[in-house]
Amino acid sequence: MASWLDYTINGLIVGNVYALVAVGLALIFGVSRLINFAQGSIYLVGAYIGWVAVVQLHTPLPITIIFVAVVAALVGLIIERFGLRPLQNSVRIAPLLATIGISFVLDQLVMLTFSPNPRALPSQLPDVRFQLGGGTIGPLDLLIAGVGISSALSLFVFLRYSKLGWAVRAASQDRDAAMQMGVDVNRVNQAVFGIAAALGGVSGLLVGMYYNQIDTAMSLQATLKGVVAEVVGGAGNVPGAVVGSLLLGLVESYGVAVFGTSYRNLFAFLLLVVVLVLRPNGLFASARQAPPEPLTGTFIAPSRPVRIPRWALAVAVAAFAVLPLLPVSFYMLQTLINAWLLGMLALSLTLVAGTIGQVSLGHAALLAIGAYTSALLSLTLAVPVGLAIIAGGLMSAALGTILISPSFRLRGHYVSIATLAIGEIVSLVILNWESVTRGPIGISGIPPLSLFGYDLISPNSVYWFSFAVMVALALLQARLLSSHLGRSFRAIRDDDIAARAYGLSLNRYKSLAFIFGGFAAGVSGGIAAHLYSYINHETFNTQQSILALTVVILGGLGNVVGAVVGAVALVGLPEIFRIAAEYRILIYGIVLLLLVRFRPQGLLGTI
Amino acid sequence: MTMSSPEPLLALTNVNTFYGQAQVHFGLSITVGRGHIVCLLGGNASGKSTTMKIILGLVKPRSGEVTFDGASLIGLTTPQIVRRGIASVPEARRLFADMSVRENILMGAFVRSDREAIAQDLDKMLTLFPKLGQRLSQRAGSLSGGEQQMVAMARALMSRPRMIVMDEPTMGLSPLYVDRVLELIRTINQEGVSVFMVEQNASLALEIAHEAYVLQTGKIVLSGSARTLKDDPRVRDAYLGGSEAA
Repeated sequence: MASWLDYTINGLIVGNVYALVAVGLALIFGVSRLINFAQGSIYLVGAYIGWVAVVQLHTPLPITIIFVAVVAALVGLIIERFGLRPLQNSVRIAPLLATIGISFVLDQLVMLTFSPNPRALPSQLPDVRFQLGGGTIGPLDLLIAGVGISSALSLFVFLRYSKLGWAVRAASQDRDAAMQMGVDVNRVNQAVFGIAAALGGVSGLLVGMYYNQIDTAMSLQATLKGVVAEVVGGAGNVPGAVVGSLLLGLVESYGVAVFGTSYRNLFAFLLLVVVLVLRPNGLFASARQAPPEPLTGTFIAPSRPVRIPRWALAVAVAAFAVLPLLPVSFYMLQTLINAWLLGMLALSLTLVAGTIGQVSLGHAALLAIGAYTSALLSLTLAVPVGLAIIAGGLMSAALGTILISPSFRLRGHYVSIATLAIGEIVSLVILNWESVTRGPIGISGIPPLSLFGYDLISPNSVYWFSFAVMVALALLQARLLSSHLGRSFRAIRDDDIAARAYGLSLNRYKSLAFIFGGFAAGVSGGIAAHLYSYINHETFNTQQSILALTVVILGGLGNVVGAVVGAVALVGLPEIFRIAAEYRILIYGIVLLLLVRFRPQGLLGTI
Repeated sequence: MTMSSPEPLLALTNVNTFYGQAQVHFGLSITVGRGHIVCLLGGNASGKSTTMKIILGLVKPRSGEVTFDGASLIGLTTPQIVRRGIASVPEARRLFADMSVRENILMGAFVRSDREAIAQDLDKMLTLFPKLGQRLSQRAGSLSGGEQQMVAMARALMSRPRMIVMDEPTMGLSPLYVDRVLELIRTINQEGVSVFMVEQNASLALEIAHEAYVLQTGKIVLSGSARTLKDDPRVRDAYLGGSEAA
């Protein structure tokens, strides 16, 4: 039984690791008002570069650390130069989406190079423990603390006494004014990305050594923890990020001590949501600090949507409806069924992220709520599957809207962070609420789709069912958007202050959008559950949320037809070209990057 | 009163600027003679601040020429333009709020690397702006508007510019500070720094300027020596509280 002192030491050590990630995020946010979602990927790269150094090159520890820092810094510089600098004059959220794309690409490259299997990363330090009061401490703990403290000190010296450090501080307080003093903001950005990446990479190395194991799932977790720590400390506030990290480390460590390991992440995200709702500028923000206004701005690139005549849409629907009657392969139908399911999710997201401008990064949680509701109702209460799916949609609508409502007052990037956190919380609750959700075991033996007592088992019937549901939802949404309600949604997206001044209640309209969007996503999740017959807490994950976001950007944000076209394109094309599964995520990442850079209005244009 | 010298220090020639579809400047031409104070007058949304941004390279004109000391500024980045010898006092001061007053002033010398001369110039600023002496280690954001204006001017002077561009330097200041600022602009100018300032307050600006331009919805509608403009009935009516403006 470990003592409280042990938990405290552990919390501080883990907090130190988070700090290395969070400080970089804070620096970058300070200078470019950007939450760098690729930070975790650099951390991942750091861990694997460390593995190469330790296991294959047999470098001594100091050389390993320097090697990792240098390579990671190079990766950071490349990201800044080629991924982000070209986006300087685009809409605010474009760089954020680009970092998401970059993180997909980097993670997949690491996975393809080193395989997804975990690897052991030896710590290179003697495994001894020293007694310290009631607890123990090892050389690796001391190393992590040492790296953390010396990084913080050198960063302090850099920012306070070097010319470039002054430029970083000036640019983070007023970018235009700094330029008018002769500061080259591109160089500042470069410096900041280099430093952030070096710290992030070393952090990955240290974590790998601490847990003795590295795998590709580390990336997203690191980004999430770093973002939590940074936001808790106040976005862009470097000392705040350190304190936020230590606080996060301690909260997690004590949380684990009381409730158990599977609750670890839950505390991080709850802490994030509480801070976002109560003190969106962080715990230490002074009243004078800039409000989150500059972060506003959705990803709506001005464009003229492509008008598709009604008859063409009708012909397309008819063609897809008769498709199963033609000699098509089972595989093709399967692919299209997946596209229709993704299409429903995309309809939901294009309404929420496009029409009303709340870029959600946690949309898969709505799938999960619908899926679990429908699965459990049909399995334990023997509710007919058709009704259960509708109940799943309603549950998603209700629960999703309630969960997201605290973040209605947030804007811009903070909406994305909050939805990401809420998505993670849903998945963690599913994992831990064993009495209802069966926890990590998942739910198996979910009854197949059925309608009015007839089982839909043949691929054709499943195809027709999912296609019909998707078309119905799309028609409903198109109807909704052409009404007064649709105009109100867009007014809120384009200028929420003006919309409020005209008497629109933001909360009510945002709720309506999430209710409708939640229903569509929940129905999609419900159908998926009966189709898969087995689901667990990882079935609907962040990767799917991001995939849905890529789909709706591809189709054109807010564009109903675009959402469906995007889904068919992203699910269908890799199938047609027979691209191996492990390359798909890589391709999605590249597609997202290319879209953000070259065609932010998507294929069919934003509405 | 001296008229503009043969070769002006700064010249904007036939500048056309657009924000998306909307045209902001229509064939704008302005010159600032060496050693002169030139003032650009105009109401809201007349394109005054954009003119400043054009000079500083923060906004690119669609067509036209901007030269400083005979060399084109088109295509240069803001830091490059600053290095050519143009310093700025931006609208609403735009100090680095969380940095100290000393750091703010020294940020003005960012393009220089002659440490000792910079230290001397800092002392010089404290004689020019004696009030800032006690405020050096204070957060710039905690100063009053007038004090912030002093810091912004000291910051601009620290780069040893040949020209300072100022965006509404008297905006939001108490009458006491307005007089002080105008006096300082005159002092700075007498030391050989040319000044280009954008102002809404025509009567104040015309008191210290050599020449002035009146900008209306992106076009220069009047220009000439400050003395003639002060007596011009059109300026009186529009800016100096004439009968029609009331």
